[in-house]
Amino acid sequence: MLKKQSLSELIPQLKTNENIIHWHEIGAQQAKTKPFPATLDTRIAAALKKRGIHALYSHQHTAYESVQNGRHIVAVTPTASGKTLCYTLPVLQAIAEQEENRALYLFPTKALAQDQKSEINELIAEMEMEIKSYTYDGDTSPAIRQVVRQAGHIVITNPDMLHSAILPHHTKWVSLFENLKYVVIDELHTYRGVFGSHVANVIRRLKRICAFYGSSPQFICTSATIANPKELAQQLTGHSMTLIDDNGAPRGVKHFAFYNPPVVNQPLNIRKSATAEVNALAKMFLKNDIQTIVFARSRVRVELILSHLQELTKNDIQSTAIRGYRGGYLPKQRREIERGLRAGEIKGVVSTNALELGVDIGQLQVCVMTGYPGSVASTWQQAGRAGRRQEESLILMVASSTPLDQYVVAHPEYFFERSPEFARINPENIIIFVDHLKCAAYELPFKADETFGSVDVNDILEFLREERILHVHKDTYHWGSQVFPAANISLRSASQENVVIIDTSDKANVHIIGEMDRFSAMTLLHDEAIYLHEGTQYQVEKLDWDHCKAYVKEVEVEYYTDANLAVQLHVLEVDETTQRANSSVHFGDVAIHILPSIFKKIKLSTFENIGSGPIALPEEELHTNACWLALTNVDPTLAEKTLEQLLLGVAHVLQHVVPVHVMCDVRDIHVVSQIKATHSGLPTIFLYDHYPGGIGLAHDVYKRFDEVLERAAMVIENCPCQDGCPSCIGTELLNIEAKKRSVALLKHL
Amino acid sequence: MLKAKLHTFKKHLIKEQEADSPPIPEEVENGSQHEETWKSFHTTPYQYEDEACLIREVAYPLQTKWGRYTFSELAPVLEGWRTLRSEHPLSSGALEAEDLLFFDTETTGLSSGAGHSIFLLGSSQVRDQKVNVRQYLLQGPGSEVAMYHYFLHHVKGLKNLVTYNGKAFDWPQVKTRHTLLRQFVPSLPAFGHFDLLHGSRRLWRDTLPSVRLAAVEEAILQIKRKHDVPGYLAPMLYFQYVKEQDPELIQGVMTHNEWDVLSLITLYIHLSYILQDAIPLSVKEQFEAARWFEAVGESHLARIRYEALLTQEHSLRRTVTKALAALLKKEKEGEQACRLWEELCQEEQHDSDVFIEVAKWYEHHGKDPEKALLYAQQGYAIYKSTRRIVRRIDEQERSAFEKRIERLKKKVATSKER
Repeated sequence: MLKKQSLSELIPQLKTNENIIHWHEIGAQQAKTKPFPATLDTRIAAALKKRGIHALYSHQHTAYESVQNGRHIVAVTPTASGKTLCYTLPVLQAIAEQEENRALYLFPTKALAQDQKSEINELIAEMEMEIKSYTYDGDTSPAIRQVVRQAGHIVITNPDMLHSAILPHHTKWVSLFENLKYVVIDELHTYRGVFGSHVANVIRRLKRICAFYGSSPQFICTSATIANPKELAQQLTGHSMTLIDDNGAPRGVKHFAFYNPPVVNQPLNIRKSATAEVNALAKMFLKNDIQTIVFARSRVRVELILSHLQELTKNDIQSTAIRGYRGGYLPKQRREIERGLRAGEIKGVVSTNALELGVDIGQLQVCVMTGYPGSVASTWQQAGRAGRRQEESLILMVASSTPLDQYVVAHPEYFFERSPEFARINPENIIIFVDHLKCAAYELPFKADETFGSVDVNDILEFLREERILHVHKDTYHWGSQVFPAANISLRSASQENVVIIDTSDKANVHIIGEMDRFSAMTLLHDEAIYLHEGTQYQVEKLDWDHCKAYVKEVEVEYYTDANLAVQLHVLEVDETTQRANSSVHFGDVAIHILPSIFKKIKLSTFENIGSGPIALPEEELHTNACWLALTNVDPTLAEKTLEQLLLGVAHVLQHVVPVHVMCDVRDIHVVSQIKATHSGLPTIFLYDHYPGGIGLAHDVYKRFDEVLERAAMVIENCPCQDGCPSCIGTELLNIEAKKRSVALLKHL
Repeated sequence: MLKAKLHTFKKHLIKEQEADSPPIPEEVENGSQHEETWKSFHTTPYQYEDEACLIREVAYPLQTKWGRYTFSELAPVLEGWRTLRSEHPLSSGALEAEDLLFFDTETTGLSSGAGHSIFLLGSSQVRDQKVNVRQYLLQGPGSEVAMYHYFLHHVKGLKNLVTYNGKAFDWPQVKTRHTLLRQFVPSLPAFGHFDLLHGSRRLWRDTLPSVRLAAVEEAILQIKRKHDVPGYLAPMLYFQYVKEQDPELIQGVMTHNEWDVLSLITLYIHLSYILQDAIPLSVKEQFEAARWFEAVGESHLARIRYEALLTQEHSLRRTVTKALAALLKKEKEGEQACRLWEELCQEEQHDSDVFIEVAKWYEHHGKDPEKALLYAQQGYAIYKSTRRIVRRIDEQERSAFEKRIERLKKKVATSKER
């Protein structure tokens, strides 16, 4: 048997690999430290010393001082830089000074909250002070809830729990709200899009209740690197913020390599699949006992790679040493995987972006990304999973054949020199705003002249009164319905209910294996779909749409399924318009009808289409914001059929370019082209927010349309293919000089 | 612009169940007509600052029969508790009948959060040889201060509350409202609290399909309600009343609440009689009463009741014997307990627990390892044969049996050596 190689031995070999087209080295950094602040309570200082901490990193020190000066802060910290102390020190200090002080910690997930509780309790245990910190979530037993409400100095929870359990029952939390000194928001960058827009409103409600009880808490936020941490924090909290970004944590050398799979079909510029290459690369690391994390963009990809890796390495390491990790796994499974990674029992993990967050899995040696994660910020987050303080680490990004990936690997400077993306929220989305206004009215009556997050709400209060949801008495609006409004509002997704996945393989042991939001279920859990869970294939026997249940049965087949959606779009109202020489760009409201049509069966080994079937699900309707480009003056020599294909090609490029520019998931914004738009008869490309009422993405595209067009043209021009490939405008556009004409179209709008 | 938007997105903004009452005519009926209706319903408006609270007062003579009992039977019940000298949670101890406030609320929703309020506080209380029913009706969402002002003044000297599920629902709800209004109203009194739901559960959970107050009234208390408004309609009717101010909309709910607070008196009498052993009872009720005393730490009263049950023939004999034996063991009267278990061992051969209890006593107290071993082995044999039938042998249980038998074998051996 061959001797196992270390990462340092493998790196020089990899450098000579011809598929690696860019190698970037990030030098080591020495720690920048400062002594403990003079005001720090001696018991806290002693506890830190017991844990081997004798000084603070520069950013921890600045955070502490700024908070002491009464500032609201947002600290930007990379993975594993000791961000916890940025908020824990001021909080412990406040409680040390005055026992009555309280703090509320918000984490985006329950798992992170649990991690944090263990960490903070270890520190408290060394302090010899009576400080009580508790998690408060759906798993907290009723007996403990009572104690948390009355005596918890630090209450650790998530926005969902704050929204549905704490704020509506604020009268049971009087001692918290009367004495609330700090609100800590960790992983701030995750609060963007729909979720962030909801959370901004939950915080408005929180502040409103604090004001009622006479407190006015200071906000301490931490965020991964994004372009606008300060702006996002201000939007979320409604306070002006101090930005802290002088990271003083040390790190070892990091190698960042771009890997482009070899071309297998020259004329069509078709490359070997990224998944296959990732399989081979990950196998090499795992066989050498190097702890590796593999990121994949979708749940299906995670499962595919996982099953391949387990197969490839089955003679070398046991299959439990390689695990999957994604949404849809039950919490207990996840905890077990996290523990295994920290303890080193688990050698490899294949994950969706679920592990981008600060879940504590320790630091791994190698990170392999299957395709560009879609945004600079997200890439750095994933890359942060590899990198121990002293040792070398390696990050490998394996490009897929999408336009965006090919563009990124062809232009490394785009990635390494570009600032990360903006995180956007739109707390004034009418549906989200009104939902939370209702919750706020349930919590405390509204005075007619009161604002909500400095928005004048009189018209909405009147509307809700007319709809008999509020009752007005003198100048005050009271809740007037027997419904509990928070129960109907989910912060996480447009659809409010999740589909539960039920395994019926063993009739004697029918059990739930996971859940999925309704929209994803439309394409992944329809009748006859192949659903992959922890590497096991299931076939959906029946999707009970009305009751949100999918019954699945274990199968072994040689294919997976891929669903198509039919989309119809109508313009309702035009709000803004920009006229250009040969086109016009608009922003406004649209109605979209979505109907899943058919699914295809695709062979696992060759990716060929081996069959299809219909999907029988009801149509979903969506009213949202859209930005659209209408061609007002088209070259008359262009055949209609050709133009239609060109539009399709441009739409294909835009679908990949736009998410990078507005920092959202590919699924959050959709692109549709129409050769004759229903409302105007003009050739048109629509880009719309995939959320009722819109969350500001389409508007952002409207404002930066030139930049988006320029980028799209660049992607097509720079693509090395002959005349269209999956990496730019798509294939199947034969003999029409599609590339040249697409670029011409984009440049003469 | 905003208004148009609200209209466009109406489907997303208003969930069906939220607006649950039909539209109402704009014109409100003549106020003085309502005044007359209220008057004939014994209801008077009381002003406080610029808000009003409607208070309804009705009195019943003590001789009125409400179901199985007349209200006057509260007197012998209280006397009974004094004689019994029990610390039972339902014991009135030194309290007088006037000290008990029978209490129930109606709310605008069941969520117990800050957005749902109590719109009707109902109480009944003995006063001057009568039962006085007093109800406080909230005129509208803005009038809570007035309602709690009068209610809290009237209950200032209150000693004891009697409710049905009031510990978990009604009183926490009062506290929630009070937290919101605390700057404007008197503080909440401190007092004792009898929650009769707990007792009803203990006594009738196994025999009644539900222990809702209405079900207990019908099956146990012989109270028949006619034309009762079901409780779940109360919030809807109230919201309608707030809009229209028509007394007839809410009178049904008030009557429902009145019946509730009257039935609480009958139920308290009945539960007390059961605990005081003052009326003929079913064997099951006697047994549950005994267990209740045991659960609250009144062993001597429990024991008297268990023993009384063993003087009769009935299907619960074995259960009662086991309960009494367990109680005796706890009270350090192991020898007597052991005698009971031995009796049980003679009777039936499928209950390994009693054999083990006997084995334990002979091992640790009777100092007779041989006898202990005999019982332990018999017990294990029974365990194996019964568990084989259901095919479920627990590893832990099995090893407990085997360890005991091993240990006893050694003890027998050493005692023989000596």
